[in-house]
Amino acid sequence: MMWKERYRIGVDLIDNQHRELFRRLSSFIQVVQNEDPWDQKLDDVKSTLNFMQEYVVYHFEDEERYQREIGYPDYEEHREAHAKFKEEINEYVRLMEEEGFTEESIQELAARLMTWLIMHVGKADQRIGEYAKSREGME
Amino acid sequence: MKVEHVNAFYVATQEVFKTMLDLGVEKGELRIVEDMVSSKDANVLLGITGDLKGSILFGFPNDMALKMVNIMSGVDMDKIDTFVSSALGEIVNIIGGNAVTSLSNYNYMCNIAPPQIIVGKYKSISMASERSLLIPLNTEIGKFDVNIFLAETKNED
Repeated sequence: MMWKERYRIGVDLIDNQHRELFRRLSSFIQVVQNEDPWDQKLDDVKSTLNFMQEYVVYHFEDEERYQREIGYPDYEEHREAHAKFKEEINEYVRLMEEEGFTEESIQELAARLMTWLIMHVGKADQRIGEYAKSREGME
Repeated sequence: MKVEHVNAFYVATQEVFKTMLDLGVEKGELRIVEDMVSSKDANVLLGITGDLKGSILFGFPNDMALKMVNIMSGVDMDKIDTFVSSALGEIVNIIGGNAVTSLSNYNYMCNIAPPQIIVGKYKSISMASERSLLIPLNTEIGKFDVNIFLAETKNED
């Protein structure tokens, strides 16, 4: 299980989406890391990667909308972090489409996705939750 | 090497281990070593440039490296493959980034080079003839080393 309770920010919409995001990332990692021969699982690798990428975009949009709704002060900085990450992943996938989806390059990508998401949800997103809580207190 | 420079890396290591692995990190007895050697199974070398110039070498034993990636991924790992070594490289990269940010608060402007991952023991990688500081660190899932060599390039005013 990749999702951990300490990743919760206390906003149901975001927490549920984070759970789903980690679930999709976890299936991608499991396919990448299983013992099946690379040629046989390549289609699975690509489809689980795609499945996760789609959800990243969907989730970032919802999370950014939520931040605007509550008037989150660090919205711009957060939006930029999302944009940079999306661009990096797209560039990575584009390169692999040109040069081939090798096991090594996919493993590198999986590691990058995992560490970025844990750090982002574990730190940057926590501040959204803290702000949302402080705002409730004022109302 | 100044205490605050070394401390920036130690504190960043503690913070990143807490956020990413939910692990506390405790410092052991510091030592001065003559040579920077990759003495563990999975080693990550981080180059520092700018007002401070040098290298930071993280060395993780096999079981600890696998356990770290298991904590993050929820998947059992049985060998140090590209996924595991890249994940360690990313962790060190984040530690380096945080340390460099905190050094900038002391007015030391530095950059980090992309981490190099060295799998396998006893490959000497020291490029500096000077001695470095070895910090043994303890966690619940194992012990690892951080080797630090930093020289100031900045002229003192």
